[in-house]
Amino acid sequence: MEERKIGVYVCNCGTNIAKMVDCDGVCEHAAQQPGVVLAKSYKYMCSNPGQEMIIEDIKEQGLDRVVVAACSPRMHEPTFRKALQTAGISPYFLEMANIREQCSWVHDGGEAATEKARALTLGAIRRVQYHQPLERRSVNMCPNVLVIGGGFVGMTAALELADGGSQVYLVERQRNLGGNVARVDLTAPYLDSARDMVTALITRTMEHPNIFVFLNSEVGSLEGYVGNFRAVVDTVWGDQATSNEYEVGNVVVATGYKEFDASRVTHYGYGKLPNVITSFEFEKMLRAGRVETKEGKTPNYAAIIHCVGSRNREFHTYCSRVCCMTALKYAHELKSAVPSCYVSDLYVDMHAFGKGHEDFYRRGSEAKTLFLMYAKGDHPVIRKAEPKDGCEMLIEVNEKLSREVIEIPADLVILMVGMEARDDSDAVARLVNISRDKDGWFIESHPKLDPVATTTDGIYIAGACAAPKDIPDSVAQARAAAARILARTIRGTIDIDAVFAEVDEDKCCGCRICNGLCPYSAIEFNEEKKRSNVISALCKACGACVAACPSSAITARHFTDEQIFAQIEGVLA
Amino acid sequence: MSYEPKIVGFLCNWCSYTGADLAGTSRIHYAPNVRIIRVMCCGRMDPTFVIKALHDGADGVLICGCHPGDCHYSEGNYKMMRRYPLLKKMLADYGIDEARVRLEWVSASEGQRFADLASDMAQRLRELGPSPVQVAQATDMAER
Repeated sequence: MEERKIGVYVCNCGTNIAKMVDCDGVCEHAAQQPGVVLAKSYKYMCSNPGQEMIIEDIKEQGLDRVVVAACSPRMHEPTFRKALQTAGISPYFLEMANIREQCSWVHDGGEAATEKARALTLGAIRRVQYHQPLERRSVNMCPNVLVIGGGFVGMTAALELADGGSQVYLVERQRNLGGNVARVDLTAPYLDSARDMVTALITRTMEHPNIFVFLNSEVGSLEGYVGNFRAVVDTVWGDQATSNEYEVGNVVVATGYKEFDASRVTHYGYGKLPNVITSFEFEKMLRAGRVETKEGKTPNYAAIIHCVGSRNREFHTYCSRVCCMTALKYAHELKSAVPSCYVSDLYVDMHAFGKGHEDFYRRGSEAKTLFLMYAKGDHPVIRKAEPKDGCEMLIEVNEKLSREVIEIPADLVILMVGMEARDDSDAVARLVNISRDKDGWFIESHPKLDPVATTTDGIYIAGACAAPKDIPDSVAQARAAAARILARTIRGTIDIDAVFAEVDEDKCCGCRICNGLCPYSAIEFNEEKKRSNVISALCKACGACVAACPSSAITARHFTDEQIFAQIEGVLA
Repeated sequence: MSYEPKIVGFLCNWCSYTGADLAGTSRIHYAPNVRIIRVMCCGRMDPTFVIKALHDGADGVLICGCHPGDCHYSEGNYKMMRRYPLLKKMLADYGIDEARVRLEWVSASEGQRFADLASDMAQRLRELGPSPVQVAQATDMAER
């Protein structure tokens, strides 16, 4: 093999890699390898100066292969491929060594992490020498979109897409559109009616000529890849079940959240004390226009307790983000429904981070809501009151600011239940092949830079299925996902890597073992020549035929035997 | 220094490699013995990759693919599932302990599972000691 001129770049990723891995040590080791003409470490390889460094070196030093030891190739392979292309060499002359997700983030510092980083980098160095240029292949981008979930977010995304000209298949499991927002009365902090907003959305969605709404339906399966998915939608109406297949180019997952089950918290007596209710039960009262106790009495005292199921080790460590403002909204609505009612608000920290939220909090304080702060883990205790107390229940709270134990009366207690991932989020994740975090929320491609895309190309997530979110943030995500999809749809085609299998006719013995193995029927048999042949347009590059060929006549482009052998040698050297 | 086994991991691009990345983004720590090589599908696993790895110094090989039924290519994992017993049988004939080559399913959301597998396999191999291939090669070298 001719001598390569390889450049190796080791990314510090700020301290993400450098804290655990001796990046300069990895560089020094790489620099000694045959074919390596330079090895550099840099703070952020993906930054503009980092990419410029590669481009300049390719041009000035005549590099013909590049190794970047950095994050996962799932993150920045496209970035660095583009840099190679800009510099005028094939983008496929790149190999990345994953020394962040699969090294520095999962190992303690010290020699072991550095040794592994050296090995992974060496694997990449050995492999990249065998890289060959590949053409990009252009495939059609189907303009249709599948939206899973007919709540506020799903409808918003569907409308944006439909307005942009896409055919949208909106699949909702329930009998009605609207999701959780349809269960809400007013919204914080501007006190707009959720019902008005949802009704307007539902009307537009149902009437839009480009949106097909599937109620009582679920997505049975999703196959294919970006631009060319096939979705099966199963619908059940009474005892009639139908199943239809649709072609879609992209998918928006907007499956939302479910509320925390308050009965899991035993100390507030939910389910035992009849007038301890959840926030959604209170919304129901508000929507019905009747704020009263189970006995039908007007409450003289109401208490709102924050962080039920959120921000504690026992249930969920995260903040559910919407409850603080919703609690203030309840204080406001209680006061308007029952002006004489004394409202207490028992909180841990008041999270008033959003636009208009702090003002809303101030107005709540001025409206004589009694705010009582309790410490995390030192939750208030509710007990049934005696007839002499003149109220239904008594709440004992160790007030943090005054450091006093205070007892407050309550006829109605509202538990601010948090959000949690839906029980079937695992099934949905598997259906569309995306990841979930430890709490069950779907994971974005990048938490800051790419919040609605996922690691599976063509699958987008929006709203509370990715983490607790309020309506404005969810709407922004719905529209962002729609915009991302429309931007790709406008082009009409999408370039994908031209990785496919190839048969070497001289080596093929015509045994036809591969013919039946291909899940895409991409291998045809030429009766005249008695040779098998891969139809590249149908091949998806899984490599099943390559591994099975007894004469090693089939090559998997970009995953050739020699490339993988070289990488094995490298990681073990 | 105490003996630390070397493991080569072959992970499918769609589920398991993403799962291993998830272990990273979730900062789930595990034993550093596994060096991961990405393949598009575990159906691409040519048995020679395993033999090559064992020959070149690996004490164990961990092959991970999508759970049965979840393969990005519909059925690549089933192909590997069928090759695997034959491979194991052959390796057994060479006196290679079956714990040294494992086929496991790791989905894109199973970062914890991957981490546990990696640590578990490292521990198992520590107990087993160096691969007989390495021992034989070392003896061979010494005799020369």
